[in-house]
Amino acid sequence: MKENNIDKIIELSNELRWQIGDEFHDNLTEGIYADAADIVKDTVKTNDSEKRFRLDAKIDKIVTSKYFGFPIMFLILGTVLWLTIVGANYPSSMLATLFLDTIHPILKSGAENVNMPWWLAGFLIDGVYLAVAWVIAVMLPPMAIFFPMFTLLEDFGYLPRVAFNLDALFNKSGAHGKQALTMSMGFGCNAAGVVATRIIDSPRERLIAIITNNFSLCNGRWPTQILIATIFIGAVVPESMSSFASLLAVIGIAVLGMAFMFGVSWALSKTVLKGEVSTFNLELPPYRPPRFWKTIYTSLIDRTLIVLWRAIVFAAPAGAVIWLISNLHIGDETIAAWLINGMDGFGFLIGLNGVILLAYIVAIPANEIVIPTILMLTVMVTGIGGGAGAGVMFELDSINATGDILRAGGWTLLTAINLMLFSLLHNPCSTTIYTIYKETNSAKWTLVASIMPVILGFIVCFLVAQIWRLAF
Amino acid sequence: MMNNYNPIAALAIFFIIVGLIYVFFRPVKGWFWLLQKNFKSNEKVIIEDVLKQLYHFENSDNKVDMKTLVQVLDFNNSRIVEAIKKMTINDLIYFESDILKLTEKGRDYALRIVRVHRLWERYLADKTGFNKNEWHDRAELMEHKLSHDDAEALSAQLGNPKFDPHGDPIPTRTGKIAQVNGVELPRLPVGAVGKITHIEDEPDIIYKQILAENIHMGSLLKVIENNSTRIVFRSEGEEFKLAPIVAANLTVAVIEKEVVIEDNIARLSSLEEHETAKIIGISRESRGESRRRLLDLGFVKGASVSIDLVNPLGQPNAYLIKGTSIALRNDQAAKILIKKD
Repeated sequence: MKENNIDKIIELSNELRWQIGDEFHDNLTEGIYADAADIVKDTVKTNDSEKRFRLDAKIDKIVTSKYFGFPIMFLILGTVLWLTIVGANYPSSMLATLFLDTIHPILKSGAENVNMPWWLAGFLIDGVYLAVAWVIAVMLPPMAIFFPMFTLLEDFGYLPRVAFNLDALFNKSGAHGKQALTMSMGFGCNAAGVVATRIIDSPRERLIAIITNNFSLCNGRWPTQILIATIFIGAVVPESMSSFASLLAVIGIAVLGMAFMFGVSWALSKTVLKGEVSTFNLELPPYRPPRFWKTIYTSLIDRTLIVLWRAIVFAAPAGAVIWLISNLHIGDETIAAWLINGMDGFGFLIGLNGVILLAYIVAIPANEIVIPTILMLTVMVTGIGGGAGAGVMFELDSINATGDILRAGGWTLLTAINLMLFSLLHNPCSTTIYTIYKETNSAKWTLVASIMPVILGFIVCFLVAQIWRLAF
Repeated sequence: MMNNYNPIAALAIFFIIVGLIYVFFRPVKGWFWLLQKNFKSNEKVIIEDVLKQLYHFENSDNKVDMKTLVQVLDFNNSRIVEAIKKMTINDLIYFESDILKLTEKGRDYALRIVRVHRLWERYLADKTGFNKNEWHDRAELMEHKLSHDDAEALSAQLGNPKFDPHGDPIPTRTGKIAQVNGVELPRLPVGAVGKITHIEDEPDIIYKQILAENIHMGSLLKVIENNSTRIVFRSEGEEFKLAPIVAANLTVAVIEKEVVIEDNIARLSSLEEHETAKIIGISRESRGESRRRLLDLGFVKGASVSIDLVNPLGQPNAYLIKGTSIALRNDQAAKILIKKD
């Protein structure tokens, strides 16, 4: 009897649910929201409507206007980037003098004095120490300049307006306007750019921003681009034009990176990512005077030091590996020589060479040490003079001397162009890969973000090489 | 080093490889996918598809013989015949002269398939970002894969929904199914007011046309013109013109006179600069995560809204709501209903 009753009640409730319909649940929730809003309206007094319509609205009208919006944006972001690249040169060279030219020889002679075996001194000082010192010297200054400036803009409230202005462009490729910000952040450091994607709260667009951040030319790659462009691109035009031509080439590569970013974003949103949830909204917070010291402090601690620490952790073993492959022998040849010979064929096919490929493999931890590694390996395998010994990375003050070494290693204009392309289109550094894993918590997306750019790089370099060889 | 290298040969090999990858893996028609589909279309799939087709035909009072069935289904004819033999033996269907009919058992089975299909469409709508026009095909694949228990778990996870995103009722676990309220749009007289309760997603061509028109589930509409060449109605401040064959795929529940009808409802996307409006609600087309986000941001019934900033590139515009400036894209703003002051 009792059982029977319960069944009847359940049946009745099911019946009633059909009649109420599906909207009931939503209506109830929305009623609660509306009630809460009503209560707030009656009980909370605000006078922000007045404030909003004075200064804020005026600034907004200018920075989002049809005519001034975009010039203002390019001016501000360009200035930040220029200050970073140019401004970082001085502290970087000071750090390099200190770590590489002063402390390194002192450590070496110190090791000799205490009779440390040559292989231990080489492994520790030429390998581990040198890689770590190099990464700090090249990486720290630009980050310490770029991040605080960027964070100040963020804190002031300008950056959301950039996202607002540019959203229509990003929307076309299935991305979020805020990707403009994470992309700009990527020009400083891809790892920091990936962390910055936290501001994108829509899952699909955030993944797109993470996976494509690597197409922003980061601080570790700007110097490579500038150096190679100066040596090779600058040389093919008349002397008076050379610095202009090489500048144009570097900017061209950065713009090409943006083109790839849009293209790959579009492809991702149409294929593998189309099932991810997508929501869009962009809050435009009121402007406020930046909290200067607090911002400087947090951007140095949160962004600069964390990224630097991760880079050091990865650079130390890389230094060890670089030294080991250059000093351990299998048969008559060093491991490095074996690897270089093995990869030369493929390297030639895509317009590069074995040295470059090996350098990109061992220098995964930091793009900053790619050129020093290439120079060291080139000197080693060609047997020309100069350099600092097997496994000891070095750079030269003279651009001409650097060019001579590279040409002795068989470099042509094609090699230079393809190196610039490959520097743009290759796997992210291990710091970034690790950060992507931390942020996405997914081995699959980490793998996609790491492998996809290299494949693109191989394809682009391959095509350029074949067409070049047909044309010239 | 590479004696037999020449750039043309290298390019040729490259393009052959790219071509092969394209032929094998291009979406839908790639050989790999076709092979996979062929491999997977086993007897179970055929049986379930036959049951589902019979169920839909019987529901719309159509009679089916062997010939029509074979035409409708996209399988090898002999395999269909084989499957039907087996189904008769297992007491799922029977013949009445040459008309195929479902037995009680067959009907139960068919309802279970329909249940999984509609639950999965609901899931795709609420929990994923797949586009509307992909829901049906994905659910077609999934309906054969989920077991009874999976379907239960899914239903519970979704909060035991009653309707799929097109407005079709989802059969209960015990095989009960509600009726859709309303009649086909072409059968409404001029001047009738109603609410869209169902949008049919088959055939594909007509459904895509409806999607392109931006017609939303749950919208109120008023018929303005109804003749054999076209049907015109107003809804949410905009005018829609449809061919009768397209309009027949919309089911509309007529609303009795007592209900107050907001006459000048519009979409937020139609708001101009310097105008203000009150929010009436959010359309049912805005679902899941994005609906919740809009509510969180304060787009609730009764809130007043105006345009804060016009975007230099057309969209998104920034709306001032509850003292905060929020930018929304036009397709989102189209799903928020307002009444202009």
